Amino acid sequence: MNSKKRRKITSEILVNGGLLVLCLLWTLPTLGLLVSSLRPPRAVNTTGWWTALRPTEEAGNPRFTIDNYRQVLLGRDMTFVTAEGETVLASGDDLSTALLNSIAVTLPSTIIPILIAACAAYAFAWMKFKGRGFFFVVVVALLVVPLQIALIPILRDYTRLNLTGTFLAVWLAHTGFGLPLATYLLYNYISTLPREILESAFLDGASHFTMFTRLILPLSVPALASFAIFQFLWVWNDLLVALVFIGSRPEVMVLTQRLQEMVGSRGQDWHLLTAGAFVTMLLPMIVFFSLQRYFVRGLLAGSVKG
Amino acid sequence: MLASKKLWSVLSLIIVLSLVLVACGQPAPEVDDPEEAPDEGVVTIFGAFVDEDARRFQASMEPFTERTGIEVQYEGSGDFETLILVRVEGGNPPDIAAFPQPGLLAGFVEQDQVIDLNDWMERDYLEEQYEDHWLEMATMDGIMAGVWYRANIKSLVWYPVPEFSDAGYEIPETWDELLALSDQMVADGNTPWCIGIESAGATGWVATDWMEDIMLRTQPVEKYDQWVTGQLPFDSPEVKNAAEIMGEIWFNPDYVYGGTASILTMPFGDAPDPMFDSPPGCYMHRQASFIPAFFPDGVVVGEDVDFFYLPPIDPAYTMPVLGAGDLFAAFNDRPEVRQAVEFLTTGESTRAWLQAGGFVSPHNDAELDWYPTETDRKYAEILGEASVFRFDASDLMPGAVGAGSFWTGMVDLVSARGENLDEVMRTIDASWPE
Repeated sequence: MNSKKRRKITSEILVNGGLLVLCLLWTLPTLGLLVSSLRPPRAVNTTGWWTALRPTEEAGNPRFTIDNYRQVLLGRDMTFVTAEGETVLASGDDLSTALLNSIAVTLPSTIIPILIAACAAYAFAWMKFKGRGFFFVVVVALLVVPLQIALIPILRDYTRLNLTGTFLAVWLAHTGFGLPLATYLLYNYISTLPREILESAFLDGASHFTMFTRLILPLSVPALASFAIFQFLWVWNDLLVALVFIGSRPEVMVLTQRLQEMVGSRGQDWHLLTAGAFVTMLLPMIVFFSLQRYFVRGLLAGSVKG
Repeated sequence: MLASKKLWSVLSLIIVLSLVLVACGQPAPEVDDPEEAPDEGVVTIFGAFVDEDARRFQASMEPFTERTGIEVQYEGSGDFETLILVRVEGGNPPDIAAFPQPGLLAGFVEQDQVIDLNDWMERDYLEEQYEDHWLEMATMDGIMAGVWYRANIKSLVWYPVPEFSDAGYEIPETWDELLALSDQMVADGNTPWCIGIESAGATGWVATDWMEDIMLRTQPVEKYDQWVTGQLPFDSPEVKNAAEIMGEIWFNPDYVYGGTASILTMPFGDAPDPMFDSPPGCYMHRQASFIPAFFPDGVVVGEDVDFFYLPPIDPAYTMPVLGAGDLFAAFNDRPEVRQAVEFLTTGESTRAWLQAGGFVSPHNDAELDWYPTETDRKYAEILGEASVFRFDASDLMPGAVGAGSFWTGMVDLVSARGENLDEVMRTIDASWPE
């Protein structure tokens, strides 16, 4: 009895200790980033972030500053000369436009593929039609096509359709690039729903549309939510697709582009990236935490048939 | 049932919200389609400079807009090199693109994508606006591929002014004087040079700049041009000689702050920092005119630190200058684009940027007293006095060499202290694309 108890305690210590070490390993770089983002640029460039935690610092040099955040949020200090020859000290563009643009790009690019993929997944799982297996294989095969090879052909078509530089262009691009994974993921979940429910609904005279909206969608909320997180993070962090299809004029620029621009033409202001990274992290964190209770359930989507 | 209602209300709320956001946000921007009737009076320019530089460029174009009513839409991206390829391939080129690397533009010239500016402007006019070497460098495959707009100079040696003169050192006029000065510094117990070439994926470019500067100072400019096009191999006595001259400084452990070993690991932006220690960790740092952006806060160029022209080696080649610049090429032929390009050939188009500092104009009609500081004027004077100006060779060579084996070869050379010179040069030659 006693030895059993002791063994249990040792194993608990081992497990918890291991977890603690892993957590530390994962969070340490983020902590370093946070500390760096609060330090003045000269200090970031000369000493490691951990030195700031030690209370020994020469006088006159502030150890911490929120100046990085000020420059990121309210615009960088810059001097230029106007046509009249006056030197002007101005702040650059603040983040608000880029933030709005990012939201305007991300939300539709998340919702459109989910809606289409849910319909497709339902059809693949529960409707009988010719070529079902073939089309499903095609969708799965598309999973492995890298999006980079599609950039130029799509850009050509967009230019012909006069879509280049519009938000619609990015929504459609992200929808297309996200659909195979979305369809596959949702199919795996939807096909595991108990057949009995659907059959009884069918016997009661429900049409496919009724079954889809009344039964399938509410039952697949965990899968929908977990895919929404994936897609949201992917689009939010995307730089390439936005650069190619909407371009980088200030009025259409998304957050990732703003961040990249902030480091300056020669990368001399990279210390601003530390603060920028934390600011851009905020919204995805909110999305993640508000959807995370679905996340764990959703990750198991389709993994166990039962 | 309840769950489904809730889901739908949430979904519809999100959709409505996103629609509202989009509606409040920017109106979906339109881009000119070259095949349709063009938007009258808008010229789009795409380039690599961003942020502060972009604002300065826009300010410089204001006089043009005021005079002609033509709006200039500038768009900059750090990924210019990739994006311009994608855009041109995708049939969506900007009206004008600002190339920081002529080698990239040469690729478009080969595909006949670029407009020959000789058709737009008289040769006499261009010769009035630019020195011959600028026009030579803009001529590719027999066409005038672009106009120069911004120059920067690489043949500079930076030094901490007060400590330098306190120690009684004098600015060297010849390479021998430069080496004698270095020896004198060592004899005084000081370290002459700060050298650092670490630059992430581009590590090695600082060394290629040194090589190019020495090539221009030891060989006639025709040899330099042959080297750029691959006719003069790296494994030739001329190029190897340049590497050996560089090695006399780089591989002398007494000459380099931290010793030769630290060259590879020192980020190029941090390399000049020891100059500002007290006493200075080193007294000389060869780097281009952009380096003050990396100096510590509070360092005043012209007071705390200044530069001199990297002295000539062979007096036969008087005063060659190595540098880089932005070349503006036109992709669409419309009257307003022609006007914009013509404006870019005048010094006036650079004035606002020039007055903000850190900018050197290649235009003949940019006046010296526009420059805001003595330092900026000195750049312009060096550029004006240059017996010949040549573009950074590694930017002109094929990418596999100029942004590949030349860089890595220099890294190999430095890590072996120059012992493997023959082998490195042969490896670079072998990597030259057929």
